[in-house]
Amino acid sequence: MHNNGHAVSYLDYKGKHSGIFAWILSTDHKRIGLLYLMASLLFFAVGVTFGFLMRLELIAPGRTIMDAQTYNSLFTLHGIIMIFLFVIPGLPAVFGNFFLPILIGAKDVAFPRLNLLSWWLYILGALLAVISVFLPGGPADTGWTFYIPYSIRTTTNVMPALIAAFILGFSSILTGLNFIVTIHRMRAPGMSFFRMPLFVWSLYATAWVQILATPIIGITLLLVTIERLFGVGLFDPALGGDPVLYQHLFWIYSHPAVYIMILPAMGVISEIIPVFSHRTIFGYKFIAFSSLAIALFGSMVWAHHMFTVGMSETAQIIFSLLTFLVAIPSAIKVFNWVATLYKGSISTDAPLLYALGFIFLFSIGGFTGLIQGALSVNMHIHDTSFIVAHFHYVMFGGTGFGIFAAMHYWFPKMFGKMYNMKTAKVGFWVLFVGFNTLYFPMFVMGWLGMPRRYYDYLPEFHIYHLISTIGSWILITGLIIMFTNFIKALRSKTTYTAINPWGGETLEWTIPNKPPLENFEVIPTITAGPYEFKDNDEFLMKENN
Amino acid sequence: MIFGSNHIELVNGAFWFIVSISFILLSFITFLMIYFVFKYNRKKGKKAVNIHGNTKLEIIWTVIPVILVMAMFWYGWIGYRDLKNPPKDAMIIKVTAQMWKWTFEYDNGVKTDSLYVPVNKAIEVNLHSLDVNHSFFIPAFRFKRDVMPNRNNSIWFLPATVGKYDIACAEYCGLNHSAMYSKVIVLPKQEYDAWMKNELAKKNASSTQLPIVIDSTKVK
Amino acid sequence: MSTIAEHTVGHVHRDDIGSRLGMWLFLFTELVLFGGMFLVYAVYRFTYQHEFHVAAKELNTSVGALNTIILLTSSLTIVLSIIAIRKNNKFLSVFFQISTMVLAFGFLVNKYFEWNIKIHHGIFPGSETLLGKGNGEIIFFGLYYVMTGLHALHVIIGVLLIEVMAGYTIKGRINSTNYVRLEAAGLYWHLVDIIWIFLFPLFYLIT
Ligand code: HEM
Ligand SMILES: [Cu+2]
Repeated sequence: MHNNGHAVSYLDYKGKHSGIFAWILSTDHKRIGLLYLMASLLFFAVGVTFGFLMRLELIAPGRTIMDAQTYNSLFTLHGIIMIFLFVIPGLPAVFGNFFLPILIGAKDVAFPRLNLLSWWLYILGALLAVISVFLPGGPADTGWTFYIPYSIRTTTNVMPALIAAFILGFSSILTGLNFIVTIHRMRAPGMSFFRMPLFVWSLYATAWVQILATPIIGITLLLVTIERLFGVGLFDPALGGDPVLYQHLFWIYSHPAVYIMILPAMGVISEIIPVFSHRTIFGYKFIAFSSLAIALFGSMVWAHHMFTVGMSETAQIIFSLLTFLVAIPSAIKVFNWVATLYKGSISTDAPLLYALGFIFLFSIGGFTGLIQGALSVNMHIHDTSFIVAHFHYVMFGGTGFGIFAAMHYWFPKMFGKMYNMKTAKVGFWVLFVGFNTLYFPMFVMGWLGMPRRYYDYLPEFHIYHLISTIGSWILITGLIIMFTNFIKALRSKTTYTAINPWGGETLEWTIPNKPPLENFEVIPTITAGPYEFKDNDEFLMKENN
Repeated sequence: MIFGSNHIELVNGAFWFIVSISFILLSFITFLMIYFVFKYNRKKGKKAVNIHGNTKLEIIWTVIPVILVMAMFWYGWIGYRDLKNPPKDAMIIKVTAQMWKWTFEYDNGVKTDSLYVPVNKAIEVNLHSLDVNHSFFIPAFRFKRDVMPNRNNSIWFLPATVGKYDIACAEYCGLNHSAMYSKVIVLPKQEYDAWMKNELAKKNASSTQLPIVIDSTKVK
Repeated sequence: MSTIAEHTVGHVHRDDIGSRLGMWLFLFTELVLFGGMFLVYAVYRFTYQHEFHVAAKELNTSVGALNTIILLTSSLTIVLSIIAIRKNNKFLSVFFQISTMVLAFGFLVNKYFEWNIKIHHGIFPGSETLLGKGNGEIIFFGLYYVMTGLHALHVIIGVLLIEVMAGYTIKGRINSTNYVRLEAAGLYWHLVDIIWIFLFPLFYLIT
């Protein structure tokens, strides 16, 4: 640890520009990370509001507060926002940007200006999506999947939404590219691949998926745009095109995209669990390689979204089989995490609660994924609210809770403030209870035959919808508790100076809170893995005092 | 087999099989997490032990899940195989989907809004769409099949119990997607024959080609 | 520490290998992007074998061949410009960069006339003539316009890129010790060339 007393924090230094331009034109990875954080949380708030409104509509059968068209647009926007603007950038672009260079002992990412360009593309895409809502014609109502032929028939503003998704994809590609080069070229001396923190490993695997899969969705959405603009026959069945081909192309990207969302969250969990158990991670290499295995196998299971389309029998068998196999590396991770708790010295602070919450919810998401992978069962539950529950457990319970875990874990480092620990725990429990109340009934309804993307429903499903809507209120209460806790901390006058509050061993805990512009005064030399915790005795003594 | 069709047993079987295994594993994981959190809590002031891993354990918890998921795969597959291959003597009915209604056409040209079928007779439905994608979903019978404009999908089932069951559209198809309900009405053989005779007579009597609305059991 | 303000990170850090790696990754994504379209092409070619056969006859092979030669030559000139700058011959390097741009321009003019003739014959997306043809032919020409159009867009981007590089070379920001940007532009240009090498046989040669 060096005496960094004189280094100006990244929040305060003066650069070429001033005012807001010091931020939106900054190439500092930490400022960019923070820009992403603010933007994506803003969209998260909008998405949650839409989710809340949908749930309110579904509180009783028949029309409650909106008409069918509005509902259809709402779930489309909700999906687009949550996927492209919140969960995909949520970890790589926010915490990856902020912490990847620090974790590998670098001053910045490999291409800082490209990094800024990614953020601008993200904002541009987001603005387009917002604009599409207000143009005449009304917001898109296709669902975030833009399935053909509906997406070329509907008169709503599908085009701006498509172009928005295209641009957002580009932003994501550039971030991935930047991270791969950064990890290959900018590790501090001694930081071999197997001394990298697991969050870095997960970002590495994610980055490869980002650059390999995203161009496919890019071109596919572009083709749909061209199809709508010029009436070129590419997918339109009326002109001989094949909507099923579209679905293949869409899922070739969008399934791996699920791993873009979940892998970095797994990385965060792999950071948090050893730190709060204060012992080394169990099975480092197995966790690292399982990320790569997930990235690899995850790219080969896209057609499990299409079992009811009617593919050849061989295709059905292969995709079902691979789907079951892709669960294995995730299972390995879960077992290793749990084993890391064994004989640890566990401190149940908020980040750990979120991490354990992640394991529980993600496991439910994973197990229900197995249920859907079974061909015969898939024929029944595909496109029902069972699926809606499943992907919320994975994307929200998984990635969402991963993001919350990361926020609680790194908050003191990023802002030099500390939130109220008790409130944070209360927030967690409310969120957790709300989450399960909101989404678990959807499994039941789905199994009983409640289709998804339904504005209205049969009376027999009322009770489940009612419980689910009440759950959404509890969940939102939890979110409010969590965010007010953060905001209060940010506004408080007391700065938090302990640079290593959790006893972590990775590099970010060696530099001051609110790190200075180039992170390290002297680039550190790495001599050991990231989770060695050799100081067990001293640490215990300190904690007990 | 209490309700519905031949597919139920295998689908329910596979479902509960996977749910049971999942439940056991999830409980185990959750129990361990909670147990460890209490047992090794920092408040107890015990020293942590750095255990880097255990290859034997890794192999065990890789191999056992692989075996389990293979069993799940197999269970799911046999149910599907069943669904895929209709018996030769299946009665064929043409189903047409459009925004936002279903039409059923029998081999003698009779057209209806609801699907009438005799009990215990294999039915094969050929699925066509006039506009966008839809999906033919009978929850009580545990299956669905997408209905697409450029593809002739089909599926079969054997209604086992007399009664009325919902048909839903399970692929988002626009404004009234959630109102695209119809019914499958399973009748005893004689009743079915009588109904069909009646329909045929009506059809021959009417000069128009329009489909005759027999039953407006549309749910909404 | 006021000096922190001055040296923004981007200027301090120079890593040619990293830049090259980044460029390769980018080209890789471009390949995947076109790969997606080639996939679409392959699927439809398989579905509509006969129609594709008929439709391909309408394309003028010699125009396509001429464009192939033009692009291949331009790939050569861009390589020559890199060799020249390595030998510190600024003038020659700029000359070859300009030659590349001229050739690219020739390619675009050629393409323009080719499209123009097609459009005059009434073959363009949504036209009556085209809609009167079979489904496979509609798709063939749809793909033809989209894929060659997207490729032409890449040609235009490439020209703009090389233009910027030529400016840098003249100003001396690209020189015999620091030419990684010109190399990157060159790589991009090769990609444009390679994609054409695939497009040409798929649309003009295989009938
Ligand atoms: C307060 C929180 C949330 C509520 C109340 C909520 C509620 C809903 C509802 C009611 C639907 C419509 C389901 C249907 O009819 O098919 C939906 C769809 C969806 N939600 Fe959420 N959700 C919430 C949070 C999230 C989060 C955090 C994510 C992502 C991480 C997310 C991703 C999605 C996606 C991708 C869809 C599918 C949209 C589509 O079908 O096109 N949701 N959500
Ligand atoms: Cu429908």
